[in-house]
Amino acid sequence: MKRLLLIFAIATTLSADVRLPKSTKTELPNGVVVYFMQKPAVPLVNLHVIIRGGVESEPDGLAGISSITAALLRKGTVHRTADQFSAELDGLGGEFRAGANDQAVIANGEFLTKDFDKGLNLTADVILHPVFPESEVKKALSQSIDGSRSQKDNPQAAISQYFRAFFYGPAHPYGRPADEASLNRIDRYKIVEYAKRIYTGKNTIVILGGSFDMTAAQAAVTKTFGEMPAGAAYQWAPVRKPIAANRLLLIDKPDATQTYFRIAQPGISRTDPERTTLQLLNTLFGGRFTSMLNDALRVNSGLTYGANSILDLQREPGALTISTYTRTETTEKAMDMALDVLKGINTNGITAEQLSSVKAYVKGTYPTQALETADQLAGVLGDIELFGLNKGEVDDMFSRIDAVTLAQANAAAKKHFRPENLTFVVLGNASKIRDVVKKYAPTMKEVSVKEPGWGL
Amino acid sequence: MKVLFAFLLATAAMRGQPGEVKPHMLSNGLKVLVQEDHNIPNVAMYFFYRIGSRNERPGITGISHFFEHMMFNGAEKYGPKQFDNEMEKAGGNNNAYTSQDVTVYTDWFPGSALELMFDMESDRMRALAFNPKIIESERGVVYSERRTSVDNSNQGLLREQMDAAAYIAHPYHWPVVGWPSDIEAWTMDDLKAHFKMGYAPNNCVMVVVGDVTDDQVMKLAKKYIEPIPSQAPPPPVRTKEPVQIGERRITIRKAAQLPIQLVAYHVPEAKDPDTTVLDVIDAILSSGQSSRLYKRMVDKDQIVLNVNAGGQHNLDPGLFTFSMTPRSGVDVAKTEAVLFEEIEKLRTEKVTDEELTKAKNQLLAVQYRRLKTIAGRANLLGNYEVFYGDYNKLYTGEQDINKVTADDIQRVAGKYFVATNRTVATLLPEVKK
Repeated sequence: MKRLLLIFAIATTLSADVRLPKSTKTELPNGVVVYFMQKPAVPLVNLHVIIRGGVESEPDGLAGISSITAALLRKGTVHRTADQFSAELDGLGGEFRAGANDQAVIANGEFLTKDFDKGLNLTADVILHPVFPESEVKKALSQSIDGSRSQKDNPQAAISQYFRAFFYGPAHPYGRPADEASLNRIDRYKIVEYAKRIYTGKNTIVILGGSFDMTAAQAAVTKTFGEMPAGAAYQWAPVRKPIAANRLLLIDKPDATQTYFRIAQPGISRTDPERTTLQLLNTLFGGRFTSMLNDALRVNSGLTYGANSILDLQREPGALTISTYTRTETTEKAMDMALDVLKGINTNGITAEQLSSVKAYVKGTYPTQALETADQLAGVLGDIELFGLNKGEVDDMFSRIDAVTLAQANAAAKKHFRPENLTFVVLGNASKIRDVVKKYAPTMKEVSVKEPGWGL
Repeated sequence: MKVLFAFLLATAAMRGQPGEVKPHMLSNGLKVLVQEDHNIPNVAMYFFYRIGSRNERPGITGISHFFEHMMFNGAEKYGPKQFDNEMEKAGGNNNAYTSQDVTVYTDWFPGSALELMFDMESDRMRALAFNPKIIESERGVVYSERRTSVDNSNQGLLREQMDAAAYIAHPYHWPVVGWPSDIEAWTMDDLKAHFKMGYAPNNCVMVVVGDVTDDQVMKLAKKYIEPIPSQAPPPPVRTKEPVQIGERRITIRKAAQLPIQLVAYHVPEAKDPDTTVLDVIDAILSSGQSSRLYKRMVDKDQIVLNVNAGGQHNLDPGLFTFSMTPRSGVDVAKTEAVLFEEIEKLRTEKVTDEELTKAKNQLLAVQYRRLKTIAGRANLLGNYEVFYGDYNKLYTGEQDINKVTADDIQRVAGKYFVATNRTVATLLPEVKK
């Protein structure tokens, strides 16, 4: 009896909605969109800059140029050498990071509030005035080539790259992870051309969050980013849906004592109307400790330290992927079991009790993931702007979750968690598992981890 | 940088501002720290048990870590799977970690689940179940964890070998996850004895930060946890690591694209005043792209892909470890020589005022970033209480850092960074036959 009452009490408390804190949005004449969101709890200020494009905007054959360009921003500007930038940044105890994801470059600077002016100046300088010195370009490229090799010493990092290449294929921008060949084709001229095209006012979103004086910050940020050339807005390519096909890539790592594997099918995009339902379903399937996959492969059988599923939500439809590992000898048992769990959710769907549990879980964990700090909130605002959403993304989140019915969830499970036409990517000791895994697909491709590239 | 920790001392819990940390002691010896913070409707509740691999012995190595897993497998009231099921159903999630010194349980949940969490945490603290079938299944899980983090990780494997070489007598010699033969062999009696030794309330510090009131927390603590009897704490760790009297070297050949090098020096325990000086040294050498090692080795000479330095903060004397990945084609003798040259400079030349100020600002800012979240604060408060003996040290840490002088750095580098006190571990790619 006590537990029933408890569930009731929790459901009541959690139905109180969450709200996106108030922010001000301005569009500058050059197209830069600026948000100001005060979050005065701690005296830090966070400058989050988003440049549309990311991996999607990489020219053919130049995979990696988006990340390399982002990494080179701090390596010399019109006003500072790389060393000067680092000395000033570190001297303030500031942080600056820049990297690329599938559809954007994210550059993030964080400083103590008292250093606001210096922090803004440093961050804006590298976005607005990078010069990409030849020597730094060469250095960064050769480091990236070694970095890409060193990823192969980490099976989990390596399988992620092989997976992207195999699942999306070379015709899709998500399917072209940087490798030695693509990095060797990049040079300073191509970086400068690329940056000129992409780092424009019309592609830029700036989010200032944290503790700052609104009037002074508005004037300073508006003036600084107002100097960015307007340029042209990046034109997104038409959306491509990944292929559902039964195929298998085996990556041979002869010294591996366990097998790492991914089982994937096409998923949905970040803006898909079914995203709330699928997020709930995926959480139940493989997105939390008590999920169906982890329960079967870890808790009940001790086959692995962890089994999960990833619903990759990007601008274009991504993958819905089962991911886990097990010792070489139990490869078949674990792969069969993962497939059984997939068949289970497709055939049997979920129960009302599971749906109610996962609703509470997603709502209960959301504030610590998205609403607690200025940088988390900048990420939320950035997504809203980048993907053309609105503040309902946060404000209506709990009501969207509450509105998902069991019938809807089970229809979505049947439609999206398909047990056929699956893509398998397996990394392990091929001599011991080759004969075992070939049953999962009519075609099997095998590569060695020692070969350059990601199996394309 | 004076503004840094001042806000933590604020006595009134202003809107959006965390309140003062309130300490309490239950009659059974469990220390409680509470900090109200109503920024988000969530709570971080951490339990620091003073038990880790240092409390083990040959034959049961890894048992503390195994216990971390067993604590989720059922107790008297909440049976197998129920801890996680009930918690997730209430909108919470959890994790746990085991180190050489402590085992820490980390719960994050909406304020509405506070009583449930007290009920479940006290249940497993008081009366854990020992189901033989679950123990066998969990052995498989832990072995998989070892296989992932050590056997199939070049970095993890080398680190394990280095610890084993650097310590010949003290329990830090063996890995937290345990030696394979011990993972396969520990018995039900070993488990029961270990639980009794480590999981008493008087061996635990509880930290609660978030959307709660001090009264709420203490009422529940008194109801659920205070009735659990105290027990004899783990016996003191007697063995002290003898002073190292000569450099030790190990080399592993393994399939790899790039080598890895680790160099470790014995340094004192967290409480020792030299620890703060070593933290400043860490910042000067490897924090940020303006740091000495990054500038020299990654950027100028381009001989390594990455280089890091860092001291462990342990209950007993720990290690200050340098780790680096040489670039392809670069001789590991070369990278080692350059590293030693940079370490030697700390002994022979004084660091500049500019470097010292920069390092201090970096350390304070890093500490400050850790305080942004309720989880970060719960973790720091617990760590200061356990490793420095008083959570208030969190506030005086700023003064300690500011006191460090260029002379201190030269003295500390001269004292610990000597060849006879170091262990060098190298992983080299297998030679093709």
